Amino acid sequence: MPISRAPRRNTLSRTWLIAGLFLVLMLPSGAATVRETIASAVTAGSSKDQREIVLSLKSSPSPEVVEWLEKWKEGAIFVHEGADGKATAVLLTGGPDAAGSFATTRLADGTPMLAPDGSPVRINPKEVDFADTDSGLRKAMKEVTDLAALADPDTAKRVRAIQDASIGQKAEKLPALLALKTTEKNPKAMRALEESIAIIRLRSASSEERLAACATLGTLKSLPARDILKTLKAEAEKSGDKALAAAAGKSLKSIDEHIATIDAMGTAFRGLSLGSVLLVVAIGLAITFGLMGIINMAHGELIAVGAYTTYVIQNVFGAGLSLSPFGHSITLPGLNLPSGGNLYFAVALPASFLAAALVGLLLERSVIRFLYRRPLESLLATWGISLVLQQIFRLIFGANNVQVSSPGWLSGNWTVNDVVFGWNRVFVIGFAVLIIVATWLVLNKTPLGLLIRAVMQNRNMAACMGIRTERVNMLTFSFGCGLAGLAGAFLSQIGNVGPSLGQNYIVDAFMTVVVGGVGNILGTVISALGIGLADQTLQQYLGNPVTGKILVLGAIILFLQWKPAGLFVTRSRSLD
Amino acid sequence: MPTSPVSSRIHGALLASAAVFLVVVMPALNAMGVIEDFTLNLWGKYLCYGVMAVAIDLLWGYTGLLCLGQALFFSLGGYMMGMHLMLMIGKLGQYKSDLPDFMVFLGHSKLPAFWEPFYSFPFALAMVFLVPGLLALVFGYLAFRSRIKGVYFSILTQALTYGAALLFFRNDMLMGGNNGFTDFRTVLGANLRDPATQRVLYICTAVLLVAVVAGCKWLTQSRFGLIQRAIRDSENRVLFSGYATANFKLFIFVASAMIAASAGALYVPQVGIINPSEMTPDKSLEAVVWVALGGRGTLVGPVIGAVSVNALKSWATRAYPDLWLIILGGSFVLVVMFMPKGIVGIPGQIGALAKRLRRNPGTETETPSPTQATDP
Repeated sequence: MPISRAPRRNTLSRTWLIAGLFLVLMLPSGAATVRETIASAVTAGSSKDQREIVLSLKSSPSPEVVEWLEKWKEGAIFVHEGADGKATAVLLTGGPDAAGSFATTRLADGTPMLAPDGSPVRINPKEVDFADTDSGLRKAMKEVTDLAALADPDTAKRVRAIQDASIGQKAEKLPALLALKTTEKNPKAMRALEESIAIIRLRSASSEERLAACATLGTLKSLPARDILKTLKAEAEKSGDKALAAAAGKSLKSIDEHIATIDAMGTAFRGLSLGSVLLVVAIGLAITFGLMGIINMAHGELIAVGAYTTYVIQNVFGAGLSLSPFGHSITLPGLNLPSGGNLYFAVALPASFLAAALVGLLLERSVIRFLYRRPLESLLATWGISLVLQQIFRLIFGANNVQVSSPGWLSGNWTVNDVVFGWNRVFVIGFAVLIIVATWLVLNKTPLGLLIRAVMQNRNMAACMGIRTERVNMLTFSFGCGLAGLAGAFLSQIGNVGPSLGQNYIVDAFMTVVVGGVGNILGTVISALGIGLADQTLQQYLGNPVTGKILVLGAIILFLQWKPAGLFVTRSRSLD
Repeated sequence: MPTSPVSSRIHGALLASAAVFLVVVMPALNAMGVIEDFTLNLWGKYLCYGVMAVAIDLLWGYTGLLCLGQALFFSLGGYMMGMHLMLMIGKLGQYKSDLPDFMVFLGHSKLPAFWEPFYSFPFALAMVFLVPGLLALVFGYLAFRSRIKGVYFSILTQALTYGAALLFFRNDMLMGGNNGFTDFRTVLGANLRDPATQRVLYICTAVLLVAVVAGCKWLTQSRFGLIQRAIRDSENRVLFSGYATANFKLFIFVASAMIAASAGALYVPQVGIINPSEMTPDKSLEAVVWVALGGRGTLVGPVIGAVSVNALKSWATRAYPDLWLIILGGSFVLVVMFMPKGIVGIPGQIGALAKRLRRNPGTETETPSPTQATDP
């Protein structure tokens, strides 16, 4: 079978092609389809012709053009030369036969390629080279694809193409951008266009244009232009172009100011989210320690109970789980729910609350109720419990961290005015708000909350009124522990889950409650956010997380000099 | 605690014979080959812990201040001694350099200025007491001045320890970072790997323990000790009687920090390593367990607690490595709930129980129900 690579130096086909090229050039796009144009380019006689045909596509860039050009580059297009010497661009179709050959279709219109006798033409890709491309042609193709990207209907892709166009500040990119500017509707793309045009015009021959471009970049507060403006300023100072240097300096200043704002916003946001983590971790403690006065050193382990519950629920929704506590092996069957990955969390939240509340209930009944009058001893006993619980986690789930996957939507982010808001941090803040509102509602709007507040204010008086203080103690403690469980479910989404999960947070949680003032939920909220913001700000300026943390601890110790009872003092007439 | 003169004399005799046994008999038996070097070394470690336990008890049992920072003072003392020992390694280290190995590893070419004086043993010894003492003085002054007490004091000291551990974990602190100090060779020219040196170190530890116990006994039985216990029982009344309680507490706090530091300084050459994991809040809590288990408010109890818990730990971490934490944690909960006076208090508890049984046989033998204790 006479098959050959393009380009073919065949007079006949060349004549035919020039006619085709003529046709393509004469008619606006639409008359010749993209496929036809590409087919004619593939079979064009010389690489110069091929380049011209490809460049002709610049008048109508579309994703389809890109698609076919890509195929050409990848080698998916072959050239079939008929008995009459006419070359046709073909595509392989269907599966290979015994000899490894494929049936073919015409690239131009997608119809099956038939030999003059009516039998289908088959090509073996191993024996035949695909339609080749040389570097000049590939350059032409890139020009077309770049243009096509500028016309991409997907805004994000279009914006990226526009931004890429400014790289290297090449003046030949300018006309396409200017043309696009007249039709562009999307404000984001419009901004990117102005930015790219201005960046390219910084290299313009006319000094007015350069000055205008500088001013534009300054008003746009363009981040990518910062380095370019810096070089420009240095060059202008060297060549003595004072006006340009001043303009560039002015724009640079405005950009730097913008960067400072972004950094500040980012720090504030990170501080807010760290504060929210602290808040979620400390809110349970604010109830057990703040309201009840129990130093629960096992609070961290209750957080871990919540996190492990989330882990178990996730696996039950997924492929099941096998555990080997104390040498026995237990296998939990999985539900294999297809959407389990995103659904399980809705179940895990209440489950982790209940699991931790149950553990808290057991703790209260078995140990803590004997120690209400001895806070220092409750500290020691609960520390013993925390050791036991940690070891139990190790025996059940292993000493290593377990994998809790978070829903996919948590990994995205949201950019406003160049400040990046990660979804996971937004989730953290939202979750904290939710927990605070829920806790406030329970304490202030439910009968249980009324009882809790009454007992915590004056236990004896409440008992005289007929409130069963024992029972209220028990419920309050397990409510606080349940909140720790919720914190665990939450932490499992943003960090590692392991036996010592709680240990990482316990000191911070206690500090938060102490700074906030014992017995006051609002104080805990304010102190958590304050500590989070201080921590992140120090980190930003010191560039070192550990030093920042140590300074925050030091600052807290000094703060307590000033306000020994924390931010909000619960006033009482009793001494001791 | 009113004790009859007879029992107190027996008590004293028992103590004295225990002291003689620890200081004289044990090393003698070791020199004769009856007690293995390893065992003696282990006991040296236990006795260091015992000293630290007495320091905690001085604060907690006698003054009512539960300090979770004692492990910090202990390891600060250890670090000061460790700095001297590191410099004594000289060119025997891995890198054959005058600098400690970790500094060579981190790319330093010159000894930092604050390391320089540690070539001198007397200076290092002074620092063992001065650094933890000063830290305790500053922190205690701030804390007691603003009347931070009870659980707040515990939480703050815990935070202090946590912060310090974070600091020492860092490499640019130039204190060995994560790995701390190890691979010591000599102390005062004596080879640390020689059993005889270790024996001398053991004797030093035992003497220190006896001295600390005796000193604390004298202190707690003095007028000072009386005020100390009064502060524990009702600080406000002492304050209103015209005593500057903050100064009393500050003195005890600093003394306790220095005692713990001296134990740390002897611990390091015997164990051969010091790193930041020794100064975590957990280590402090563990030491508090020894005191609680042995019996707080006594001076022998903490030592008994420290030795027995650590002996149990040495055995259990080998025999039941998985269950050790459960044993420790569980026994701690039981002690706190049922044996508030610890091991030392057991005879008294049995006596009280027997007395009650004799008084009304067959009826109510339980302690008052928790319900009443909770909601009076």
